[in-house]
Formats: sequence, C-alpha cells, structure tokens
Amino acid sequence: MIPTRRKIYSLMAVIAGCLITQSAYSANWLMLQGTEAHKQGQAPRAHVWGFIQAQYQYDNSDPNPAGGYIPPKLIGPNLDDQSQFNINRARIGVRGTGFPLDSKVNYFILAELGNNGITYGDDGKHLTDASITFNHIPGARVRVGQFKYPGAEEGLQAIHVFDYINFTSVTNQLLLERFPNPDGSDSNQGPTPTPNADMNQYSQSVGAFRDVGVQVFDMFKGGSWEHTYAVMVGNGNGINRGDNDGNKDWYLYWSSELVFGGKGGRREGWKTFAWYQDGKRTNAYDRTQEQDRTRYGAGTKYLKKPFRVTAEVMAGEGMIFQGQHRPQHIFNNGEASGGYIEGGWYIGSTNLEIDLRYDTYTRDENHPTSASGHESTADTVTLGAQYHFNKKTRLNVEYASRDYKSDTPAVNTQQKDVDGRFAIQVTHIF
Amino acid sequence: MIKLIHTLVLVTVASVVLHANAAQDKPFAEQKVVLQISDADPTKQTLVLNVASNLIKAYGPDKVDVEIVAFGPGLRLMFDDNHNKGRISGLTDSGVRFAACGNTRKKMTKALGKEPTLNGNATVVPAGVVRIVDLVNEGYILVKP
Repeated sequence: MIPTRRKIYSLMAVIAGCLITQSAYSANWLMLQGTEAHKQGQAPRAHVWGFIQAQYQYDNSDPNPAGGYIPPKLIGPNLDDQSQFNINRARIGVRGTGFPLDSKVNYFILAELGNNGITYGDDGKHLTDASITFNHIPGARVRVGQFKYPGAEEGLQAIHVFDYINFTSVTNQLLLERFPNPDGSDSNQGPTPTPNADMNQYSQSVGAFRDVGVQVFDMFKGGSWEHTYAVMVGNGNGINRGDNDGNKDWYLYWSSELVFGGKGGRREGWKTFAWYQDGKRTNAYDRTQEQDRTRYGAGTKYLKKPFRVTAEVMAGEGMIFQGQHRPQHIFNNGEASGGYIEGGWYIGSTNLEIDLRYDTYTRDENHPTSASGHESTADTVTLGAQYHFNKKTRLNVEYASRDYKSDTPAVNTQQKDVDGRFAIQVTHIF
Repeated sequence: MIKLIHTLVLVTVASVVLHANAAQDKPFAEQKVVLQISDADPTKQTLVLNVASNLIKAYGPDKVDVEIVAFGPGLRLMFDDNHNKGRISGLTDSGVRFAACGNTRKKMTKALGKEPTLNGNATVVPAGVVRIVDLVNEGYILVKP
C-alpha cells in the first residue's frame, strides 16, 4: 500500500501550519481575470496583450525491456520523442470596457496559437477565453462565456506568471481534464519506440481549467483582508464548446487573503482557499453509461519577498485519467488524490529566483477492479531557477527528479524507469 | 426654462467660486500651472496626477497653484467611481483644484442615457477649453502631460 494519504495529511499539516503562523504570494485571479475593477474608470476600450513561451525539454527515462515508451517518458503534447524544442504557448488577446463610459461592463478574449494540449489535434489554434462581466449588482458580479472556472490555484492562476515550466502530476492528471472524441474514435495505444511514438491519442482539446457557463462572484474587503467567493455552472465540456451530455458542472470557491501590498499577478499576500466541483460525464464508447466526476481541494499561498510558499491538496472521484495513450480507460469510478508544496527564494537584490517543489499523486485508489489495475504513485521533486530580464521577460530552468511506481506489476514495469526531465523556457509578455 | 436658468446660475457660481479659489487659496503662489487631461489613454490619468503631485512636492503646496482641467474622454478621471478617487482627494487636500467640462458632461449624459456621477472634489465649468484659455490669460502655464 503506497502511503499517499499520509503524505496528503502531512501537506495538510503544513497548510494548517501556514494558517497558524500567518506565513503568501497570491493574487486574486477571479478579480484580475474577470473584471477591470483594478482599473475602475481607467480601463481602455481595448487593451491588446499576450505572451509567448518558447522551450526545450529533454527526458532521461529508459524504455521498457521491449524498447517501448509511455507518455511520461516523452515530451508533450506530441509525445513522439524524448527531446523537443517547442513554442508551447503563444497567446494573444484583448480586454477592456468596449464602452469606456460604462465601467460596469467589461470583456476578455484570448486565443492560443502555441503547440500544447489545447491546440494539439485542433489545427494549432483555439479560442481559450471569451467572456463578458456585468458589475451592476453589488456583491454579485456576473461573468458569462468561456473562461477559467474557480478552482485550484495551479490551474486558476495566470500561466504566464507560473513559477515552473511543467505542472505537478496531480494538477496534470487529476485536474487538467481530457476529453475523448464523443464519436468513440480515439483508441488506446501500447508502449511504442521512438521517434514518432505518437502516444497522444486524444483528438480533442484538454479542458485547460476552463468551461463555458455563468459565474456569480465578488470580492469583499475588510481592513487588509480580501474575501472572495464564486459559484459557477457550466457545460462540463472544457473548451470544446457545446454540452455534449446534457449534464451541467457546478463549481464552488472561497478564498480569504491578507494583502501585504503590490498589485496584479505578483501581489504580495497570504491567501487560503478551498474549492469543490461536481458533474457527470458520458462514456464516449457507450453513451448509455454516465459517470459522476467530483474534484475538491484546499490550499494556501504566501508571498512576501524574498520568500514564497504554496501548498495544495486535492482529491477526486470518477473519470481518473490513465495516460494520454489510453483514452478508452478514462471512463471509470476510480479515486485519486495528491498535493504539492513549493517555495521560492528571491536572491537579494539580483533578478534571480530559486524554486523548489515536491508533488505527489496517487491514482486508482481503493478500486481493485479498475481497468488499469491498482494504485499508481508519482512523486516528483523539481528544482528550478528563474532569471527576470525585466518585468515582462524571464528565463525558467528546471530539473524534475521523478519516482513513478505501481502496485500492479505490469504497470510498474512501464513506470519504474521514469527518470529525470530537464526543461528550459523563455517567457515574454507584451 | 427655469431649469436652464438654474443651470446657468450654478455654472456662473461655480466659475466665480473657482476664480475666487484661484485667487484666494494660494495667495503666496509663485508658480501657476493648469494641467490638461483630454485623452482617452488611461495611463494619462495617472500621469496628470503624478505631474500635479510632483509640482506640489517641488515647489511646496503654498508656492504653486495647480488646476487640472478635464474635458473630452479625459473627463473619466473625474467620474466618481474612478480608481484614482483617493489620489484626487489627497491632491485636493494639497490645494490642487479639479475642473470638469460641462459640455463634455452633457455629451456623456446623452451617450450613457443618464448623467455620470462626478467626483465631489470636481467643480463643473461651462467648457473645459474656455477654462484653460481663461487661466492662461491670467498667467497660468498650460501643461498637457
């Protein structure tokens, strides 16, 4: 039995410790992304913005004895080989108040042109956000359209200020939802030799932590504290548009933050939050079957330079992802849980920052009849560094030491050789 | 007709008050500056307030007489819900005056379907540009940041 629950409890203890000692980097993403409130009466008619991320990644894992590779040993989203240069994100968008005299209505539109799970299999482009926010009712702003749903910090935060290159395993596998083609055409693939392994068998965009729906939310100030809530209902079909099954997803979110100072995505403060999501999915391979999908979690984030500490725990039931090569195994009633703790240190008066993260994830818990077998665990320690050329341009370098294993011998054979991964990335925001 | 007379009286009183303020509030002012904000660019709002603040810092509140005149798209600076409300209040305490263009307010009322609520520290003048010309004729230096 892999002792993941114990690790989760340890992370929870750390979060509780942070709560008690008031030790946070945190921004109010719901307000930053959904409103122009921070520019009340100043927001332009149309502010053009975006960012580019260019990267190189190298994976040091060995193949299985037959020479085949599984997705964690290859570089996504293509999953062809173990090294790759990539423009993984290239986004351009416009936001503001179309009619600047009425600051009660604002909009946000953003498109992805990079090569990642959003655009892979979708002609290399996809609209990620298109929303309108109505700020007429005090305490109940209303946002409609396609946008990031309220949830875990790692998914909700603006990706261009993310302190690492790759997501944690728990966020990547438990929260970043994959959608097999509803016509059932996505098929499984066994471990394959490189190059041209072509292990990504999904033909639809990943969820990208977004949904199409309606969100009611607002922020309340009390002294130096900010309290934010959100309730949302959406299709539960990510950014693939349309409601493919007639079921709606519900999202609940609460955060309380002690604001130290600053503004925007790198505001200093200490934030604690909790969230819950619930919905249903239809089996792409047998539409007569429906499956509950539940996700929930809590966390805390602290930033007061020169230190940053973040910790999150998350768990879920139903629709537990089994890998990019196994779309037909995503429909299941398995359980999974995980979390991470990370910290950053801004070195004195330099532009250099050192980051360290530990994350753990266990899938297929308590489900001996799971199609993919029993528990699999992924533990990763990531050591990273960031060099800020200026406020809009930075270089990330990171090395992830990974330890994957499974209680099921056949799965363990594929996972035990998952090894280190090196990544370097440049981000420029305009 | 009565409404029109009331409006004219209010505007006249406002002009007299502003003029009186200009003359009486800063009896020891050695520099007189009028700042124009008429631009839609939101960063100009911050800039014009920064300039006013810098003038006060450089010469001292009693030694410089500053008035910010807003018209056209620049009037958004003097909307009551503007993000800079706190700064306007602070500058008012330092003796900076804020004049809002009556003509622009009328146009915006038409576009919005209702009269925009202006910052309590702003005084409505009949026409922003006329106010600037008058101040320049009184010896003020015009600066458009």
